Amino acid sequence: MENLIANFNYVIVVILMMIGLWSMLAQKNLIKKCIGMAIFQTGIILFFISIGAKRGAKVPILTGDEAPVVEQLANPLTQILMLTAIVVGVATLGMALALAQKIYRQHASFDEDEILENQRK
Amino acid sequence: MMPSLPIWQFDLPLLVLVVLFAVVALSIRNLMGAAIVFGAYSFMMCLIWAGMGAVDVAFTEAAVGAGVSTVFIVSTIYNTSATMKRRPGGMAFKLFIGVVVTVAGGFLLSALPDFPDWGDPNSPVNATVAPYYITHSIPDTHVPNLVTSVLADYRGFDTLLETVVVFIACIGIYSILRIEPARTSIDETDEEIAAPASYDPTDSLIVRQASRFMVPFMQLFALYVIAHGHYSPGGGFQGGVILGASLILLAVSFDLKFLLSRWREKSLMLLVATGVGLYAAVGLACLFMGGNFLDYGTLDAVLPGKQDMARSHGILLVEIGVGITVMFSMLAIHINLASNGRLERGL
Repeated sequence: MENLIANFNYVIVVILMMIGLWSMLAQKNLIKKCIGMAIFQTGIILFFISIGAKRGAKVPILTGDEAPVVEQLANPLTQILMLTAIVVGVATLGMALALAQKIYRQHASFDEDEILENQRK
Repeated sequence: MMPSLPIWQFDLPLLVLVVLFAVVALSIRNLMGAAIVFGAYSFMMCLIWAGMGAVDVAFTEAAVGAGVSTVFIVSTIYNTSATMKRRPGGMAFKLFIGVVVTVAGGFLLSALPDFPDWGDPNSPVNATVAPYYITHSIPDTHVPNLVTSVLADYRGFDTLLETVVVFIACIGIYSILRIEPARTSIDETDEEIAAPASYDPTDSLIVRQASRFMVPFMQLFALYVIAHGHYSPGGGFQGGVILGASLILLAVSFDLKFLLSRWREKSLMLLVATGVGLYAAVGLACLFMGGNFLDYGTLDAVLPGKQDMARSHGILLVEIGVGITVMFSMLAIHINLASNGRLERGL
């Protein structure tokens, strides 16, 4: 139990990824699928930030002239990986929305079943 | 504070709230509502990351996740429909997916005890390469913001290719939405959505004047974020997104025509490519000066200062390139999504 609370954010990461995956697979609406994809992505980002965090550490910006203490600064590496991932994430979200909009242009619907029915015709 | 507790006291309630927002965003039947709740979700997430010391990431998420991506979803909905069809049945399928997802989550949870403790400074992630960046940033590059120096210098290749991904996504959206033959019969959705003549939302004097007043300050702040990214949270990505958002605000509060009369489509795409080109050109310049690709230290012959200052200036040049690409690709993605690829009128 103590381990569960100490690692609570990992549990939340798994729950967010489950929610996102469920939404991508089970939801019929394309926009909801896109939102599910974005939630899955933020789950992964939360995971990276969590493993890079340090207890009682400061933000990784140096002040003054004294030499930096490694234990007292958060890990910058995981942060930059996720910083770029967020911006790429919004670009891919835009891409997914563009595809959804194009599908709507053809089928006048976001509903997966209706689109499939339309295609069989 | 007990050592076994999380690093930040508000983390537990915020993490629970995040899950709650995620569930609400996915269960609301109105898509516009879902988009707004998703924006709130992103904002909660950004608070959590700020609490863990990742201020740059939180800044990016506040600008991108809570800001621009909500606008993207809203402008897609504007051109399509905001209602979901209520369909009976399908419970068996949803339950099946639920079981699959639960099994997958169970496997992930079973790996939980193997993770290092939350906030352990001696975990493999924190103890291998990261200390080098922390201790060498000032002597190597003269940049106090470690995130900026790692982003643009030590991991320059990574950032270059991420910028290229944004560029490619922008081109992809253009080729998906923009290229279209003559109008089809289905393609008349915007006529019924268009507001009646008595109420034209783009004609609101207050909104126009307020955004006219806000936009210059947003742009000034964004330029500060790019230029001051060496010393404070910020950099090319955040500043570029804010610059893009200021132009998106113009497009939303006036109308798309107003914006496109100032920024032509062709010049937008040229500028998107210019940013990536500037980044790559700095890398190539290093190559010509006898160093490795993106090794800014060799630029000290042309840039002022010694080798560490040359790396600092090289980072600034690269961040400007990133800012240009991100700014105009956000704008290009928005105008395509908002006008359904026609670039005539839209949100």
